[in-house]
Amino acid sequence: MKKKTIVVKNKLGLHARPCALLVKTASKFRSDLMIKKGNMEVNGKSIMGVMMLAAEQDSELELIANGVDEEYLIIEIENLFENRFDEE
Amino acid sequence: MKILHVKEFFETMNKDFALSVLTDPKTMENVIQEGHLHRPGLALSGYMERFAYKRIQVLGETEISYIQTLPAELLYERLKEMFEFNIPLIIVTKGLSVPQQMEYLANEMNIAIILSRLSTDRLISGLTRYLRMYFAPQKSIHGTLVEVYGVGILLTGKSGIGKSECALDLLERRHRLISDDVVRITHTDDRLEGTSVNDIGYFMEVRGVGLIDVERMYGIHAVQKKTTIDTQIELLLWQDNIDYERIGLTNNYVNVLGVNLPIIYLPVSPGKNVSVIIEVVALNHILKNFGYEAAEVYQRKLQERINLKSRERSQ
Repeated sequence: MKKKTIVVKNKLGLHARPCALLVKTASKFRSDLMIKKGNMEVNGKSIMGVMMLAAEQDSELELIANGVDEEYLIIEIENLFENRFDEE
Repeated sequence: MKILHVKEFFETMNKDFALSVLTDPKTMENVIQEGHLHRPGLALSGYMERFAYKRIQVLGETEISYIQTLPAELLYERLKEMFEFNIPLIIVTKGLSVPQQMEYLANEMNIAIILSRLSTDRLISGLTRYLRMYFAPQKSIHGTLVEVYGVGILLTGKSGIGKSECALDLLERRHRLISDDVVRITHTDDRLEGTSVNDIGYFMEVRGVGLIDVERMYGIHAVQKKTTIDTQIELLLWQDNIDYERIGLTNNYVNVLGVNLPIIYLPVSPGKNVSVIIEVVALNHILKNFGYEAAEVYQRKLQERINLKSRERSQ
């Protein structure tokens, strides 16, 4: 299991498009991904779940990946956040 | 551990409990850490052992009239001794007036006092309910919650196994959706209550189609805000080498927030009608509640038949 805390950087937060991109990216991997925000934990491969986090700019999320390719999964997801989901 | 700020408590409940603040605004920063109430009669009379000071202290008519019988100096000493404990909040009911000394000391020692116009009985029952809900253990899990024939069923399983599709099929059969994908579970009064985590509405993702609005599509009767979770059904990909339950004499349970929740491991394969099986699970649950266990009844009848045959043979 690998964990990583990240911060939402893009201005509009995790709205529909970034959520779709996140889920699409996570689904390429065999590992499971859970995303935690406060006391809420959702499946990172499910679009409704990720959208329900309603994560705003500067909010903190914890990524929890579990499986054979967990390291690569975390790196790719982190990249998405770093690049602000190619939004700005 | 969840905490409740006095300020937050006041802001959310001031209408319901007819509250008004007596002490300085800075006392509103105090933090309530326990979801129980305490009536500090014994502490007021001087017995401070085992004083449950972390709880909200409720003063009713009895306590206030007792305080008024105390000589001023003694009262000052008592209250001071009491207030040295870190009491977060004192609520005085029935709009009773608070002795000046008490108000002064509370401000000095940073203890919040809030007045309520409700009677002690009504305040205590309302407040107990509110605190129980607020401090109730809670978690959110990945799954879909539906109500089938009045039985709350939590569908779980890996992403893409078909939870949402199954829920759609159940909606088509006039059952109800509470939440798709993320379910918030609260443990109250020895049962598990499931709700949606937000109030955006009853939206659902259908793979290949996108988002749909269930309430719009199926009507208001197809959705519901909350339900008691009676049983969990874990959808699993069919695997040939796994032993699935065949008779139903043993019940499996999972521990969710300290409650034993019955769980059924349901193998799914393409083309299999899962929603019919879920209806069967719900009906069987109702029968079990009425004390009828099909597997046990069948076993008993089978045993009688066997006994009869063996008697015939020995004659």
